[in-house]
Amino acid sequence: MTHPSFEAQLDAYLDGELATGDARELEAHLAQCPECTRFRDGRLELRAAISARVPAFQASDTLRKRVRAALGVAAQARAPRRIAMRGAWRPLAIAASLAVVAVGSWRLALDRAAGETLADDVLASHIRSLMPGHLTDVPSTDQHTVKPWFNGRLDFSPPVYDFSGRGYPLLGGRLDYVDGRAVAALVYGRRQHLINQFLWPAARGPAAVSSTSTRQGYHLLHWTTADYSYWVVSDLGLPELRDFAGLLRQADSAAGAPK
Amino acid sequence: MPGYSAGNSRAARGVFSRRPPRHLEGRLESSELERFEVVVLPHLSAAYTLARYLTRNDHDAEDIVQDAYLRALKYFSGFRGEAGTSARAWLLAIVRNTAYSSRRRQRPEDFATEFDEAVHSDAVADDHPEATLLRNTAKDSVRRALDRLAPEFREVIVLRELEGLSYKEISDVAGVPVGTVMSRLSRARARLQEALREEEER
Repeated sequence: MTHPSFEAQLDAYLDGELATGDARELEAHLAQCPECTRFRDGRLELRAAISARVPAFQASDTLRKRVRAALGVAAQARAPRRIAMRGAWRPLAIAASLAVVAVGSWRLALDRAAGETLADDVLASHIRSLMPGHLTDVPSTDQHTVKPWFNGRLDFSPPVYDFSGRGYPLLGGRLDYVDGRAVAALVYGRRQHLINQFLWPAARGPAAVSSTSTRQGYHLLHWTTADYSYWVVSDLGLPELRDFAGLLRQADSAAGAPK
Repeated sequence: MPGYSAGNSRAARGVFSRRPPRHLEGRLESSELERFEVVVLPHLSAAYTLARYLTRNDHDAEDIVQDAYLRALKYFSGFRGEAGTSARAWLLAIVRNTAYSSRRRQRPEDFATEFDEAVHSDAVADDHPEATLLRNTAKDSVRRALDRLAPEFREVIVLRELEGLSYKEISDVAGVPVGTVMSRLSRARARLQEALREEEER
């Protein structure tokens, strides 16, 4: 390994971007190489210096107003065209829905529509939780604080984990309302991203339904186990969100059938 | 945990005090502009931060953010459904392209040559409004060093350390392979670290 490429590897390791196998190899090397340990400490120092002295800026209110005003003008300029389009599409849409009935996919279309509505619900809850003051009812990084908080607030006791060792710290929990019932929402972090995990007892029926969808730039993962229906939503990239969902599933199966 | 907008104290409220999602439904379904405002506008400060470090001054940064938002609105319908990209990374890619094309128009020489510290560093440090002030306080040498980095190094530091993007997202924003992101970040950090070391020796 040449020196610069080693440095890049170590940076990737500190950024949590190194594959597990490579990371383990690197940790083993660090344990017995004082020079590399010094290099690592230097990088950690730099990171601290950047976060202390290189500010992320806040957009001013003036800029916010200016951008909104410009967007409003631009949207208005485009609006009449869209209305015209909508009118033109309506007969086509009716024809299309008739075609669906005609080929006998009526039931399928209905199921899909129900699934879409639920995904809309989940996404709306996620977006609302990002608005100031809506994120958590019980802000805590301690799973033993968050889990008991749900006692008496829900008719089930949701499993709560802390994956901070894997870069997904628990940030808290809250009650939410999805699919016509009160559900548990757990909030996890990943760098500056937030992940909402929703769960509620699954309806009886075959387990192992799972789906992935992307709406408005948010990714939604859904799966069911024998006990719970799960939804995970975030603006995090899909591979990382899958990684997170994998951790949840693993933790669930390790904990055995959750109560 | 900086960066997270966590926390409120509504723990005492009951199960049904939370309003059902219905009040958002209308908002999500109404006009494209409102949907855009919910999905993209929350990243305004992230956009401004990137623009500010790329241009190194407030005035240009604000112009670029406004331009970038107008472009983003235009392409927003194409963005939905795109897998693997967050709204934040998507917007930052637009901000970056807007900043680069506006600079290419105004100062083509910045992009015509490889960055040469001897040629560029003082010139670029001078158009930072706080540059003079910063020069006098040795304490801020890390930020000055960042401002002196070539744009391709500066942007990876900002995207990673300030915006918290993953290597994959940075590679999407900067339009280079993940391996290049990795080596650029490492080189950029080495330079910043030199600045930090010099400062300690003072």
